[in-house]
Amino acid sequence: MSDQGILSNLLITLQPDNVIACFAGAMIGTLIGVLPGLGPAAAMALVIPLTLKLGPTAGLIMLAGIYYGSMYGGSTTSILVNVPGEPASVVTTLDGYAMAKKGRAGAALAISAIGSFIAGTVSVIALQFFAPLLARTALAFGPAEYFALTVLGVVLLSNMTGKSRTRSLVMMMAGLILSTVGMDPIGGLERFSFGIETAQGGISFIAITTGLFGIAEVFAVMAAREKRAEILPVKFRELYPNRKELRRSVAPIARGSVLGFLIGLLPGPAATMASFASYGMERSISRHPGEFGNGAIEGVAGPEAANNAASGGAMIPLLSLGLPFTPATAVLLGGMLLHGITPGPFLLRDRPDVFWGVIGSFYLGNAMLLILNLPLVGFFAKLVRVPSRYLMPIILVLCAIGTYGDNGALFDVWVMLGAGVIGYVMRKYGYQPAPLVVGLVLGPVMERSFRQTLIISGGRVESLWESPICMAMWGVAFLAILLPMVIPPIKAGMKRRLRNRA
Amino acid sequence: MSPRKEIAANIVLILFSATFLIYTTRYPLDNWESPGPAVFPLVLGAVLLLLAAWQMIRAFMAPRAPDRGGEEIAKVDSVRAFLHDNRGEAKVLILTSLMVLYILMMQWIGFFVSTFLVVILSSRLMEAKGWVRPIVLSVGVCIFCYFLFVVWIKLSFPQGILF
Repeated sequence: MSDQGILSNLLITLQPDNVIACFAGAMIGTLIGVLPGLGPAAAMALVIPLTLKLGPTAGLIMLAGIYYGSMYGGSTTSILVNVPGEPASVVTTLDGYAMAKKGRAGAALAISAIGSFIAGTVSVIALQFFAPLLARTALAFGPAEYFALTVLGVVLLSNMTGKSRTRSLVMMMAGLILSTVGMDPIGGLERFSFGIETAQGGISFIAITTGLFGIAEVFAVMAAREKRAEILPVKFRELYPNRKELRRSVAPIARGSVLGFLIGLLPGPAATMASFASYGMERSISRHPGEFGNGAIEGVAGPEAANNAASGGAMIPLLSLGLPFTPATAVLLGGMLLHGITPGPFLLRDRPDVFWGVIGSFYLGNAMLLILNLPLVGFFAKLVRVPSRYLMPIILVLCAIGTYGDNGALFDVWVMLGAGVIGYVMRKYGYQPAPLVVGLVLGPVMERSFRQTLIISGGRVESLWESPICMAMWGVAFLAILLPMVIPPIKAGMKRRLRNRA
Repeated sequence: MSPRKEIAANIVLILFSATFLIYTTRYPLDNWESPGPAVFPLVLGAVLLLLAAWQMIRAFMAPRAPDRGGEEIAKVDSVRAFLHDNRGEAKVLILTSLMVLYILMMQWIGFFVSTFLVVILSSRLMEAKGWVRPIVLSVGVCIFCYFLFVVWIKLSFPQGILF
């Protein structure tokens, strides 16, 4: 496609309907990011019936708006209350909150918004170069490559979520097992539905997501004793970072944007990884590493830029291969399928309006967040104090309505409640829900590609790893399994030897 | 997590994956040329079983906390500590039962009436004081949901004998 074509498709975002959808999404997202009790994935799942009313482009722009709005809201609470709204903004608490304690909350918030905006811009520009290239590469993907990629995704994802790799893998397997409920994707045989009619079409993804990220969270809030959050004040005139702070932020934002985008291309929880990687990089190359943890502006600027660029980059595996690697992008995929859009190598060719409309909305959404949220930041920060005794009942009801509204089946509401209870218990035992949700979405792709590969090759198992692309992906997957097992003993051995020598 | 909790969690996982594997045998495996619907679940169940077994072995091998003297006192203390730590769990149980009732009631007395009741009760369960605020909240939530989901999006909800 010519650059002009891309530009005109990007301008689709500026149509009034889409601007309103983007605004609504960004607002809802910010609220979700700030308020406890409902993660971005559950919020997006609940809004899906609403987006069906809006049509594919506006609907998906709204879903994407919630995705990045929540990221922004998460940073706000990280800086002002020391409570990260979602994993990607955990790093921001380190220096953001320290800056707020020094009376520079406004500057930290502004730098985080400016950094996100610049990173968003960088990722949109980079997407223009990468997306067509990747879509072309994706055309070379047959079933064997898809299978290898999903396996790679499973391995990388379990390496990076939670504390224990085995537990993440267990959750991933549980998600994949749940995905086998319903029609078998090749022969159409009914499996594990136990005669329940609604289960014949498979376990509802929305029910599981709202249960694990909505209901379970309500239970957790309820079981914990309510603490009154202490919010550090922000004055409007403090919102502008001073010249020195701006100068110190330029390079971290630039580095964070590039690093974040590249990490976003990998399968895995890109935004979280990118923010941690950027923080580590900034600290190691900083001229004043001692300031990190005590309010270094670089520690806010770099990670905030990186996580935003990464969520832009993560759109590439989603849109060009149809494979999501985070719960939020998994919901976005679910939303697309409900709108009759199949993400994959052909999306860019067949529906450039949707592809670039969603990408363009990232850009517009970031600008909106920058213009709207800075003056409103005090208001959003106050929302953290909304008592849970009023908030949680609303979340419970919204979860029930959203889940029921998806299929009009009460069975799904039961599934949601079950997922909520199990999700709550799981978290108590140290099992994170994110890999389960991703497993549930990847399952059918994995099974279909596995069986298709064997059918096409006439039962030759080698065909699963013969092609160069497959070999590379299997290689990375094996390294990702082996290295964490091999490196610690080697390191320990080297240390022992050094100590013996001394 | 304590080794005992870890072992308990893994026993549940092992039992689940074993049951799943046994159930999977009801479906055809077919052959390599055309793998049947049982193949993929079988692989998943086996991997889950192996992972759980591996975690179980590690939990058994983990060093145990040394026994403390004065076991009786420790026991009383630990019971007290357990009750203190898990006060919230009782509420979770009550809320779960409330949700079960809510879903059952949807079909009997209608979606919006049961929603109205569940918002008030869950708000009270979360230590809202008085009845006025929970009722106002509940009326607001029901009206908002009705206009958003029924009037605008045109979703239909279970209607019971009341509404």
